[in-house]
Amino acid sequence: MNTLLQQVINGLSLGSVYALIAVGYSLVYSILLFSNFAHGGFLVIGGYICYYLLLTAGLNIWLAALGALIGAGLSAVLVEFLAYRPIRERTPVTLYMLIASMGMSIVIENIFVVTIGGRFRALPDVIPTQSLELFTGTTVSMFDVLSLVTSMVFLAGLQLFLSKTKWGLAVRAASYNLKTAGLMGVNVNRLISIVFFVAGLLAAIGGIFLSVRYTLYPQLGAITTKAFVAAVIGGLGSLPGAVVGSLILGLAEMLATGFLSSQFRDLIVFGLLIVTLIIRPTGLFGKSVGEKV
Amino acid sequence: MSDAATGKAPLLSVQNLSVNYGAIKALKRANLDVFNGEIVAVIGANGAGKTTLMNAIVGDVPRAEGIILLEGARLPAKSYQVVAAGVSISPEGRKVFAPLTVHENLEMGAFPIKDRNEVKKLREKIYNLFPRLRERMTQYAGTLSGGEQQMLAIGRALMARPRVLLLDEPSLGLAPIIISEIFKELTKINSELGMTMLIVEQNARKALQLSHRAYVLQTGEITMSGNSKELLRNPEIEAAYLGGKKKK
Repeated sequence: MNTLLQQVINGLSLGSVYALIAVGYSLVYSILLFSNFAHGGFLVIGGYICYYLLLTAGLNIWLAALGALIGAGLSAVLVEFLAYRPIRERTPVTLYMLIASMGMSIVIENIFVVTIGGRFRALPDVIPTQSLELFTGTTVSMFDVLSLVTSMVFLAGLQLFLSKTKWGLAVRAASYNLKTAGLMGVNVNRLISIVFFVAGLLAAIGGIFLSVRYTLYPQLGAITTKAFVAAVIGGLGSLPGAVVGSLILGLAEMLATGFLSSQFRDLIVFGLLIVTLIIRPTGLFGKSVGEKV
Repeated sequence: MSDAATGKAPLLSVQNLSVNYGAIKALKRANLDVFNGEIVAVIGANGAGKTTLMNAIVGDVPRAEGIILLEGARLPAKSYQVVAAGVSISPEGRKVFAPLTVHENLEMGAFPIKDRNEVKKLREKIYNLFPRLRERMTQYAGTLSGGEQQMLAIGRALMARPRVLLLDEPSLGLAPIIISEIFKELTKINSELGMTMLIVEQNARKALQLSHRAYVLQTGEITMSGNSKELLRNPEIEAAYLGGKKKK
């Protein structure tokens, strides 16, 4: 019973970090209709900015994290500007952007390998990781609670942005039809930049928590595959879907680790993906509202 | 009395406009004027270039040559700037934002307007114009009937406070009785609000009945223009676009 509760909290914590990554990825997908494989790069950029601001610049975690969020957001905007915008303006075929994103993913990874090397780096002890005793016999790590709470705060913030602001409304309209949003007077390029900034920012939070959990290295972005899977399970392009899919995935991983063995983790993750694709290819929250003509 | 007869400068003037899709010339040096207070129709068969003309005006497809003037000033090339300049469109196929509510769709129409009170006032005006939309305010646009979606698309375009309202095939896919209702509404918007309109339509009879003047577009070229009432009686037009009614 205690193990179960512990693993559930671990799972939700891991799942909520996946959610930060999956939501940004899904947001980009919903607007531009391609899988941005460079998304993992944004979380690595966030992780490294945080690392160097802590160690070299000697900032505290709040300022370092703020710098990482903004830095990763801006690099996402830059990636879009350099790699995707020129393609977007020439062709409506999204496949080219998908291929460009694979290229950008390798470019970002190798920029880190070449400049600072591929070794594993541990973030200093800035996020408390000690155990908390919930009630007798059940302990959870402070880190898990913090990452769960932080993720939820940022997801709620995203929800507020989308539902309460003018640009948030424009993002929702554009995720249904980007061209028509342009006809309403929305500067589409600016909207896409905003979306990439938000996606990069959310990925950076995930990057900071993941580099504390697993250490930081240039290939850490590969973990985004899990967020992709979560987004597909939840329904590509759907934000609630990305969150629910991520939580399910985190729970499945941690329960498999706790009750079977950690070797089953990925088997379960990709098993879930395949089952979803067979039973409900559009995912749990796949788009269902049609357009009447 | 519209300005067409009084010799004033046109509100919207399309001059020598061409659009190419690769090697295909979709629009060839088209000239067209819309005067303040007028409804101007462009009729033509499928593939004649009607939607291309609209898309070129709103900046949705690149203009290969020619200029478009609004009140004498060059209309910008990017669609978001066109709206701010004063031309908005109810696009072909309506294109309402299905997962957004009616209310939110109207908000989107007023995107370039900063003043929140102004947006509220405009929305009230649209709801008075289309009471059906007020009833469905909180409903998702995707759940509306085709006719209601068309009303929403028109209302959404009016939310931008345009100088000229463009209407691309507002009758598309609608039942005759609904079409009549929509066109009656358009007449009202023109006469009561003084809204200038440019409409492209396959339903030539309806378009000619609604409009003051009309242009005929044939494989990318404007081949005829004139007073709509006269065009309605023109035997050539009758044969080609009005189902060639037999002479009695």
